[in-house]
Formats: sequence, structure tokens, C-alpha cells
Amino acid sequence: MKKILFILAGAVMLSSSCTRDLTRLNNDPKNPTDAKSFTFLTNAERRFSNVLASGSQNLNVFRLIVQYWGQTTYTEESNYDLATRGIYDNIWDVIYRDVLPDLEEAKKLIPRDVPDQDIQKNQLAIADILQVYAYYYLVTTYGNIPYSEALDHNKPFPKYDDARTVYNDLLARLDADIAALNTNAASFGNADIVYGGNVANWKKFANSLKLKMGMLLADSDAASAKTIVEAAVAAGVFTSSADNAMFQYLSSPPNTNPIWVDLVQSNRDDFVPASTIVDKMVGLNDPRTDDYFTLDPTGNYSGGVPGDGTVYGSVSAVSPTITTADFPGVFLDYAEVEFFLAEAVERGFNVGGTAQEHYDKAVTASIVGWGGTAAEAAAYLAQPEVDYATAPGTYKEKIGVQKWIHLYNRGWDSWIEWRRLDAPHLDPATNAVSGIPMRYPYPVKEQNVNRLNYEQAAAAIGGDEVEIKLFWDKF
Amino acid sequence: MKKLSFLLALLLAVLTMQAQERTVKGTVKDAQGAAVGYATITEVGTNNVVQAAADGTFSITVKENARLSITATGMLPVTVSASDDLSSLVLQRNDQLQEVVVSAFGLNRQRNQLAYSAQKISGEEVSKTRTSNFIQNLSGKISGLDIKQGNTLGASTNVIMRGIKSITGNNQALFVVDGVPYNNASGTTASQTSAQRTAAGGYDYGNAAADLNPDDIASVTVLKGAAASALYGSQGSNGVILITTKRASKGFGVTINTGVTVGRVDKSTFPKYQKEYGAGYSPVAVYEDPSRLFLYRDINGDGTLDLVAPVQEDASYGARFDPNLMVYQWDAFYPSSPNYRKPRPWVAGANDPVEFFETALSSNQSVFIDGANDKGWFKLGYTRNDDKGIQPNSKITKNLVTFGASYRVSDKLVAGASINYSGIDGRGRYGTGYDGSGGRNLMTSFRQWWQVNVDIKEQKEAYWRERRNETWNFKANNPFAVVPNYWDNPYWTVYKNYETDSRDRYYGNVNLVYELTDWLSFTGRMAVDNFNELIEERRAIGSTGVASYTRFDRTYRETNLDFLANVNKTISEDFDFKGLLGTNVRKQHTVYTRARTNGGLIVPDVYALSNSLNAILTPEEFDGRREVQGVFAATTLTWRNMLVLDATIRRDVASTLPKGNNVYYYPSVSTGFVFSELMKSANWLSYGKLRLNYAQVGADAPLYIVKDVYGVVSPFGSNPQSAVTGVNNNYSKNNPDLRPELTRSWEAGLEMNFLRGRLGFDLTYYNAKTINQILPVAVSTATGYESKYLNAGSIENKGIELSMNGSPVRTKNFSWNVMVNWSKNKNKVVELFEGAENLLLGEFQGGVSINATVGQPYGTIRGSDFIYHANGQKIVGANGRYRSTSNSNNVIGNTNPNWIGGITNSFQYKNFSLSFLVDVRKGGDIFSLDMYYGMSGGLYRETAGLNDLGNPSRAPLAEGGGIILPGVYEDGKPNTTRVLNGYGTYGDFRNPNAAFIYDASYVKLREVAINYSLPASFVNKLKAFKNIDISLNGRNLWIIHKNLPYSDPEDNLGSGNLQGYQSGAYPSVRTVNFNIKMRF
Repeated sequence: MKKILFILAGAVMLSSSCTRDLTRLNNDPKNPTDAKSFTFLTNAERRFSNVLASGSQNLNVFRLIVQYWGQTTYTEESNYDLATRGIYDNIWDVIYRDVLPDLEEAKKLIPRDVPDQDIQKNQLAIADILQVYAYYYLVTTYGNIPYSEALDHNKPFPKYDDARTVYNDLLARLDADIAALNTNAASFGNADIVYGGNVANWKKFANSLKLKMGMLLADSDAASAKTIVEAAVAAGVFTSSADNAMFQYLSSPPNTNPIWVDLVQSNRDDFVPASTIVDKMVGLNDPRTDDYFTLDPTGNYSGGVPGDGTVYGSVSAVSPTITTADFPGVFLDYAEVEFFLAEAVERGFNVGGTAQEHYDKAVTASIVGWGGTAAEAAAYLAQPEVDYATAPGTYKEKIGVQKWIHLYNRGWDSWIEWRRLDAPHLDPATNAVSGIPMRYPYPVKEQNVNRLNYEQAAAAIGGDEVEIKLFWDKF
Repeated sequence: MKKLSFLLALLLAVLTMQAQERTVKGTVKDAQGAAVGYATITEVGTNNVVQAAADGTFSITVKENARLSITATGMLPVTVSASDDLSSLVLQRNDQLQEVVVSAFGLNRQRNQLAYSAQKISGEEVSKTRTSNFIQNLSGKISGLDIKQGNTLGASTNVIMRGIKSITGNNQALFVVDGVPYNNASGTTASQTSAQRTAAGGYDYGNAAADLNPDDIASVTVLKGAAASALYGSQGSNGVILITTKRASKGFGVTINTGVTVGRVDKSTFPKYQKEYGAGYSPVAVYEDPSRLFLYRDINGDGTLDLVAPVQEDASYGARFDPNLMVYQWDAFYPSSPNYRKPRPWVAGANDPVEFFETALSSNQSVFIDGANDKGWFKLGYTRNDDKGIQPNSKITKNLVTFGASYRVSDKLVAGASINYSGIDGRGRYGTGYDGSGGRNLMTSFRQWWQVNVDIKEQKEAYWRERRNETWNFKANNPFAVVPNYWDNPYWTVYKNYETDSRDRYYGNVNLVYELTDWLSFTGRMAVDNFNELIEERRAIGSTGVASYTRFDRTYRETNLDFLANVNKTISEDFDFKGLLGTNVRKQHTVYTRARTNGGLIVPDVYALSNSLNAILTPEEFDGRREVQGVFAATTLTWRNMLVLDATIRRDVASTLPKGNNVYYYPSVSTGFVFSELMKSANWLSYGKLRLNYAQVGADAPLYIVKDVYGVVSPFGSNPQSAVTGVNNNYSKNNPDLRPELTRSWEAGLEMNFLRGRLGFDLTYYNAKTINQILPVAVSTATGYESKYLNAGSIENKGIELSMNGSPVRTKNFSWNVMVNWSKNKNKVVELFEGAENLLLGEFQGGVSINATVGQPYGTIRGSDFIYHANGQKIVGANGRYRSTSNSNNVIGNTNPNWIGGITNSFQYKNFSLSFLVDVRKGGDIFSLDMYYGMSGGLYRETAGLNDLGNPSRAPLAEGGGIILPGVYEDGKPNTTRVLNGYGTYGDFRNPNAAFIYDASYVKLREVAINYSLPASFVNKLKAFKNIDISLNGRNLWIIHKNLPYSDPEDNLGSGNLQGYQSGAYPSVRTVNFNIKMRF
């Protein structure tokens, strides 16, 4: 009996080893292999907005570079030591790894998910517009970037494309997207957090973005800029703040404005407003001052010296308006568009109106947008220091200062515009390890993983240095 | 199925054969005639084994014409016929190159039949020095084995044999307990998060081999090369650590072991602080008083402003200490403090953070009962271990229960079973890595961010007064509100924000051995290893950061089914044949859930998911099964006990590879030539053997890297969200075309003993090449992924291992033995996929990375470097500060040691023995984030003191302060520019990464052991006792030499491939253990 049992046991053990197909164990029961296309769009919009809005010292430190904020204790980033915390890698990764692939996946799945041709076209166009915008930040930050070979896992070491070539392609894609948008058809509906799927709004957004991208070329290639800008304006850009592209955050984590996470939830006191902007706004009696900053212990507005550590509480703090959990993020707004139009007029582009008119509209929209009144805006604009007719400096300086004030909560955009307009004048931080960055060096990971292409790219733009100016930054 | 039919036929064909049995008795002695206790007597070719008693006597029931193999620790084995005169079996002492019984699936081989490198040490040796994890006791005792363990309580152990083979996969050696693979991975995979391994903070939860009961270990055999491990399949490709547990000897015995261990911090591995300057970030930060070094507030309400220490800061580049200066410090702001609203002299804290550490105390109690008779044996053991660490509120408790038994059901059938339970409860394990915002690793604070004016004992008193977070570091805007800024009171951290964990583990097996004839037996075995684990992490309300609770629940189960046919046949006088045919089915199933609260906690001190301030987010879930089905055959052919040919072949079918690519074969061939058999007349040569072998080992892939899945992201309001990557921090692209990876290796060895075993060595050269490695290759993130799984590389390891032993003195009462283990491994990345030249293994804070680059060793450290002049000097800029490369891809270090080794000297005088082990690691580099930030913040002595002019170096330049950095200008002329010595001067943002690379060499007095066995004459009078051993042991007593300042170069972030980076390192602990072992 025992023998039989023993043989049976052995037989069972053996037979269990030559039957089933084991590789079915590779099917992960906890994660899906399929998902709806629109769910990727929602996620991409949120991730894109997060990086633009972020106030993290590990990610978005542009507010420090343009001297909106200073640091209380750890002043490395204010002094342009951005390598220690891997800033160059982090901001690159967020766009390439978190934003662009989700949009790419949405584009891939939309034709399968959306049978209606018009809706399908609208959705594809919107996803592509967001990709164009995401690339806009990369190309204006690093210079030459992987583009034609990007987002392809079969090209693990993509080559870098010339920045201007990339830019031209982005403009071409944008034109195609604008042409594809059909305002008579729907798009993403509620899955689109920015516009609720309103295609007319997206069309204005795309043209406003085109205006923005055209203006970037104004110094380096005025003729192209003129063509692009005039076409964009003719097609219809933002005409009021109601057109703004906003991302309305929610009041509870994890879908809050990241500024709230970084400044409030963290319970840390890493940042204070910088004296550069505080002093400027106080000097101009700016009605937005109380929207941007709290009062310091003496009842005045003051800021920390850029590059120095500052005792938190001894100067103004960032206003609670901005650090509210559900404070919206901004992709693009009407005031910004009017600033571009004022500048376009000064550059002789045919966009209608006078520079002063556009400038006044821009400043007014900004002040009203921050909670001020039209009367406050008018009084502000009537001051000789602010009045476009009498304000000091060239048009670039007049527009540059006001645009810099307007973009207070949008550090990345402000840094791009500051480099383009070369105004306002900023002094390097007190303990700076370099000049004020004119671009970001390439990520440490690219240097180590994609070395040959990295070295070519660095050589092509004149070296991988922080002070190298990019192709559109002539002055 | 053919194989099955064959086996069954074979089985049936010989079922009826019978043999006669008889019982023989004997005594084992050494050359001096003294009894050799506890020798193992094996009936050759069977699993019939008994153990001799303490007096050397044994009795065994064997078949007619049986041959007996007698082996004992420290002796050369002999084989005799059962019909010989056994009354005085003499074993020759072989102090170092001991008996080797390799029991791969029950395959016993004598030393002469062994054609590959194996090294064995007795269980005595691993258990006599009590440590909480017996694996670390192997360090320095086995050549080629590199063991690293962090200094945290219960830290995981990195066990690497012959270098890193798999570039990013598992390189840990396989543990096999009584023939059954034993999971050791837990500390290095799921519960140890990637954040922890890349130094971003977290806990090291140890590895599961620490669950093994050291008192139950009879011997540890280390099989180093692939040839030795081919039978274990891909798991064995990193070498195998075979653990044989104890078996009972005849009669009934009780062993009681009781010990206590005391540990103290080795201060040479902890910072020595400067005592001249207090809190601040001068000159980067300017404060409020006229000197700009203090806050300036009216604290006492007298209308004038008072000096207040910059309590919000966590560096020590502040005002110079001056006992006459009265300053309000952190303790002036807590109503419970005796110094409430009182200023005190501005001086250095009387007690450094080193006083934070307590005396570690461990107790170990175990009782073992065993018994055996002709029919079988059993053992039952219980061990309890209480380890209290040097960090307050840290404790690990282990309860280990062991049961094993074997019974001879009939003359042909032996049934055996073992079941083991281990219960591990941990509390307050130490945080690791850079944990600035998490605050869990206090070493991050003590080594990088600290005010030297703070007295740690006052922090202790402050916490215990009201058990509140009365921290030294709080926000300055309203100091009386005392809101913690970056760091909590260290005692709050350990008493409120502690983790707890528990693991209940059951492992065991049932087996049946059927001895068909004296040369053929069958074994069937089923082994199960099963554990449940719960890890809970807390951050209390009132701490810095967001209060939280995280729980991690995991169950793991591994089942191994083995069926073996074992042939052991002496074909003729000259030929001996051993053969094995078997199957192995291994199944693993891991399930885990990680859930955490969202946005804070509601009620203090309640740690439950329901106490989450916001609705909790989707927990992370994992459910993975893997299976490998193997069929293998092995044969060992021996001619005249002199020439041996050993061959194995295995076929695996693995579940983790894609269909079509998941079947792979791997063979091995080994030969051995015992040339001393031809030179029996040469008295000087007692043993000599040459070995040569070649093997190939295949390996499968990690789980779930074949098919892509999407991540489900918590919805945005009611809008569902999906992501291509990034869920659970996974940014890898999977690959449906993976193939198995292969390691091909060859090995040559020479083993010689001279002068009757008084001098001997074992020398091995090996060369192993792993090809088609399955790697998550770091790719440009512009692809949308951080890495992609590919068959991607080839890495070569070659090296030399040398074990030497000698007995300079050997008399009747006194002996002195020396044992040396030395090994050198050189590894090189030969090739990466598609022309890639570098593989990024990990990126760390500070902008450094650890890499595998083609043509270079695995584990180069890259980062920014100094710029050097042609004359070799470092170049400084016009501002007098070092210039740094703008790129961060310079090779600035190599984490691999040049060689490692250990020397054990042991002395025996009558019943006394004394041994000490010196452990050496030569070379290898380490990047220290502790120095990177700690030097920046002015914590260390080098940042203060006098300059070349004899003035305080931190004084303003106008007052003769400042320093001149050694170096030259661009033109090669010596630097003469004096720079201000302030925040950052010696640290992070004023210096390239290369400034913080240190040599990780060390020479350590690892172990000192004194043992005393009470004389038999005395013990016998006590009647009840058979023997009593008393031992006093010390571990890590003295770091004789090291180059890494203020730290232990051995401390790491945990096990795994990313070594060579230190952040928030723990000091090493000197331990002394007193142990009594009594056998009744």
C-alpha cells in the first residue's frame, strides 16, 4: 500500500510539471491593459498644469530665477545651483515622461474610441495642441531637444533636433490643428478640465498660442514673426478674460493646486517674496500688491534679497489667495495676449489698435483678474510711471515690467518673456554660482545615457552652459 | 511523459529486491586517541545517517556489505566497510579544509569527488558569536564572499559571491536550507521601496534569511561557482549558501543556550563637531541684530530687543561662541522648560548627538531537545531573541520554533518532516538615506543639518517633560508658537513617528525516501515557505510635514515539489558511479497592498486608514505568481578515488518569459584530479587536487515585464484618469521579446595540504560572463520612459580566491591555527545593447550617479569633477574657489573593492580557545552626502579653527580671516586668493561632487571569541550535564584603519546593487556577548 502511495505521489508531482502554459502568469490581474482615450487627456492636462503651477524647490524654481520669490534657508536654487536637486532632470522628465506620452496615447486610442469623424478630429487636434504647447516649454528652456525621434521606445537614444527646426514644425502642427477644429462639433466634454470640451474656446486658444509662438521669433526672425502673428490675430485670439485657459483645481488632495501642497500642506517655510518684485510693485502703488503678498510684521510690504537667506515672518509672505488648495492654474490668458498685441503694434505688425490700447487692456485685465476693480486699474494706469505714454524706457521695458508683474504666479512663462524682452533689469543673486540662467543645461541623465547625442546638441548650441542664449534670444 | 514512464518502470522493476540488515557499533577517535564527538556516520549511497555521541560512540543499522562514511567537523573523512573493526576509527585532523558534503537534492559527495569550489564552516562558527543576523558572521570567513550590512537595527545583508553578475537584477546568493530554497528577498524588493534604495529615505526592513535559527545550523557550505549551483537552476546563478540543520544523535539530549549581548557606539564612526560657532547660515543668511548673526526680538518684554538664536536654522555657520553673550535659545520658548523666557550663555552644547545613542542590549535564549533511536530521530527547538538597538525605542523580537523528525517506516522507507515557525516583531527600525522632509533618519540631521549649540540631553528632557515635540528647530516668525520647522525633537521622532512590523513565517517540508536497493533510492519532497507580513509607518500630528499612516500587507508563498531518483553504485573496485535524475516545480506567489492616509490625520495617535483627513487614495495592489518547472540529471563518475568527472544538465520552463522563449537548457562539466593519490610516498604532501569546470546557468526574468499595462490614477473629481507610466513609480517599458539570460563560467582550482594538514591552501581562478542580461536599461527620458527591459548586456567577472590555513603550533594541549581568506574580483561591462555605452543604475541627490559603462567596472560613480591643470593641481577661478566641470558625466569613483580578505588566528589551550578575525577591504570608493552637506553647514571640525595666518578662519576677510584653497589659477600659478569661510565653502554648492568621494577601505578587528568548555571531569560530577561551554565574544570592536571620516565605510543604504553612496549613515556598534551553552 505504501509503495503504491509513494508511486502515486511521485506521479502527481511529475505530471504537474508538463501540462499548463505557464506564460499566462504574465497577465497582471491588478492593472488594466486597456483604457479609454479621454482618461489620458484628463491626466495629461492635470500633469501639465501641475508642473506649470508648482512651487517645489525640486521642480519648478523659475519664480526664484525671475526674482519673484527668495528662499529662507537653503539658497542653492536662488543662486542658480540647480544641479544639486536635479532640477534640469526633473523638469525635462515631467514633460517628456508624464505629459507628452499620455497625450500621445490619447491620440493613438481616439480613432478606436470615437466613431464620429468630426468629434474624433477635434479631439485629435486638441491633444496635439497641448503637445505643441508642452514642446514649446522644452524648446525654449533647453534649446535643441529630441523631437523627431522622441516618444519612441524603439529609439532609446534619440538624436537632438535643431531648436528652430523643431519650432517650425510645432508651428506647422498648430496650423493643421487649427484647420482641423470644427466648432460645430463636440470634443472631449467634461473630460477636458480646461474648456469642458468647448471647441470654439480651443480654437481661440490655439490662435493665441500661435500669437505667443510667433512673438517669440520677433527678435530673431521678424518677417516670420509678422506673418505668424498677423495670421493668428486674424483668425481670432482671446478677446476677454472669459477666454482664459484655466485649470480649476479641487479642494482636497491629490487634486489640489501644487502650490498649496508645497507651501501650505508641507507646513514648510521655504519661500518668501523677493525684494525685487515687492519693491517694484510698492514703488508703483500696484493694486495687486495685496493679492500677491501679505503684510510684513511692520505693516508694510517687504521681501527677501535674492540669493540671501531670509527669516520667514520678518518680511511679507506669499498671499493666501495664491496658496488656496483649489486656486486655478493658468495655461494662457487674455492679459498675456494683449501684452503681445501691444508689442506687435510696436514692431509694426498689422494687428489693429494702438500699443497703448492693448497695454491698457492687458494691465486692466490683469488687475481685475487678481480681484481688483476697473477703477483701480484706471488709477494705476494714470500714474506717469505706469502710463504707457510716459513710463520710462523702450517699449520692451514698458511692456516687460508690466508683463513681469502680471506673470507673478507663472514663473516659467515669465522667465521666457524676461529673456525675450530683456526687461525688467535683474541683478544676479548675491551668492550666485553663475550668471542668471539663459537656458537650462541638459539633464544629468542625458549626459550619462545619451552622451553622443548630448555632446552634439551641446556643441550645436555653443556649449551646454547656463549662460548660453538660445536662437530666439538675440539681445 | 517519457521520463515519467521510464522512472515508473524503473521503480516497479526493482521494487521486489530486498537486503539483509544488521546493527554495527563503533567509536570515532582522533590521531591522539581522544574521542571525536558528534561525527556523522553515513551509510554510503543512502540517506541513512546517525551522529556519534560526545564520547565518539555510535550505532547504526545498515545493510549487509554496507560502506560507512565517517565525517566530522575539522577532520578528514574516511570511508570504511561496515564489516571492518569499528572500535577505533581514527580520523585525521584537517583544520581548515574541512569535510565537504554537498547535498544538492540529497546528492552527497566526498571531498575527492568534488570538482568545484566549495567552502564550509561549521554551525558552531556562525552561531558562537551571537548577532541578530547570522549571515554577517560569514564575513571574512569565506573567500570570494562579500558581505555588507548596514548599521541599522535588523538591517538587510548584501551577500555577493564573486562580484556583481546581473547588472540590475538580483545578485544575492541563494539560500538553501536542507535542500530547499529559502526566500531571502523580502528586504530587498517590495517592502524596501526604490526611494529607500536610492537614498531618498525609508526603512531597511532586513532580509528574510535573518529568520533562520542560528542554533539549528549544523553547517554552512558555500558553493561559489556556477558548476556547483547548476542543479538549483537560475536561482543558483549567484552562488548558493547551503545550510544544513542539525540532526539528533542517539539517545536523548537537551541543550540550553543563554546569552546576553551589549553594544556601544563606536565613536570613530560618528561626527566630531566643531565647538566654536553656533546656529546660522552666514554669510548667505543675514539676520536681525546689528551683527546680523542673531534674531533680534523683545522676549522679556522690557522694550529692548534681545538676542535670539536663529532657531529656524539647521546649520552651524553662525555667531562665534562667547560665554559672556546671553542669548535666548530654543529652550526659552517652551513654558515647561526651566529656561522659559531666560537667556543663557552662547556656548556649544555640552552633549553631542552621539549621546543620543543608548546601550544596545540583546538577549538570546534557546532550548533544544533532540533524541534518536534506531528507527528515527527528532528535534524540537525554541529560540527567543530580544534585540534592543542603540537608537531609543528600537526593538526586534524573534520567536523561532523548530521541529524536525525522521522515521524509518520500513527497511526501505524513511519519512521525514520539518516545520519551522518564525515570528519577527520589529518596532522603531532606523530610517535610512536622505530623509530631510520625512525626518525618519535622524542621522540626516546629526550629520548634515544640525546646530552645535544644541545639547541633545536637553532635547531628551524637553521631550519627556510633556511628551511633546519641543524641538530645537522651529519657525522664527512667532517663536512662542513653536511650530516645528524642518526637524522634530529627535526623541519625538523615535517615540512618536516609529514604524512597527511583524512577519509570521512558516516553512518546512515533508519527504519520503524509498531505498529500492543499496544503489538506488527515490526521494519525493514537498516544501512550503509561507509568510505574512504587516508593516506600519506613522507620522504623528504635531510633526513637521503631513501626519500620516501607511500600511503594507504582504503574503508570500513558495512551494517546491521535488522528485528525485538517486543512483549510487560502485561499479568495480576502481569505478564509482553516482547519478541523479529529478524534477523540480517551484511556485511563488506574492500578494501585497500598500495603503496610506491622504492629507493628514484627524485624531492624534490613532493609526488607522479610517483616521485619514481626506478620503484615502487607491491603494497600491500587487498580485504576482511565478513558476519554474525544471528537469535535471547529474552524474559523478569516480575512478580510483582519484579522477572524477561530474556532469549536469537542466532544462527549465519559466513563467516570466514570453511564450516561445521560456524554455532553456544549461549544462555543466567538472573534472577533478586528486594527484596526491599518485604520490602516497611523499610524506610532505598530505593532499593535492586539481579542479577544472565549465558551466552555463540560465535565468528567467522578473515578474510582469513582458506585457505592458496602464496605470489607473485616482480620479480628478468624477473624471477617471489613466497613465501610460508612473503608477507606483514604474516608468519602464516592458518587452514581449525577451529571452533568458545566461551565465557562462569556467573555473580552475588547486587544493593542497602539506605536513599532515598543518599547512594548506585552496586557490581558485574563475571567469564568468553573463550574456543576454535582462535589464531595465536606462533610456533617454525623451522616449517617454525612464527605462526599457531588454536583453541587453554582457558583464564579465574574473577573479582569484585563496584560502590558506596553517597550524604553526600543535601540541597535545596547545594549538595555534591561522586561516586566511583572500579574494580579488575584477568585473567589466563588456557590451551593452545596440551600441549603448553606459547604463545608468541610479541617480542620487547631489547630481551623482552610479553606472555600468562599457569597458569599465560595474558601479562607477559619475558626477562633476574638479578641473585640473596640466601640473596636476586643482584649478581655482579668479574668485579663489574651485572650478567645477559643468557636465556631470565624469567618472569620479569606482565602488568595487580591489580585494577583500580576512585573517583568523585561533588558539586552543586545553579547554580554552581564543580566536580573532581581522577583516580587510582594500579600495572601492564611496560618495558621502553626509560630508557634502555637513561640511557646507559647518558641522565638522575642518570647517572652523585657525587659518594659515593664525586667525580664526571664519573671521571676515578684513579681520584676517578666510582661507586659501590649495590649487592653482588657470595659468598654473599657486592660488593666493583668500575666500570667506562661510556656508557652502567646504560643501555642496561651492565644490564639485569629486570633493566628496572617499576611499572605502577598512581594516577591522571583526571578531574576538574566547570559549571555555568546562572539563569533562568536572561536568561529569554534576551528573545532569554532558558538557558546558562558556564563551565571551566581541564583534566590530575596533576599526583599525579607515579613510572615510566620521563614518563606517561599510554602512550602506540596504542590500541591492546600488552601493557606494552614503547619506545619513549610522555609526557602527561594538558588541560584546556572553553566552553559556549547556547540554544535558
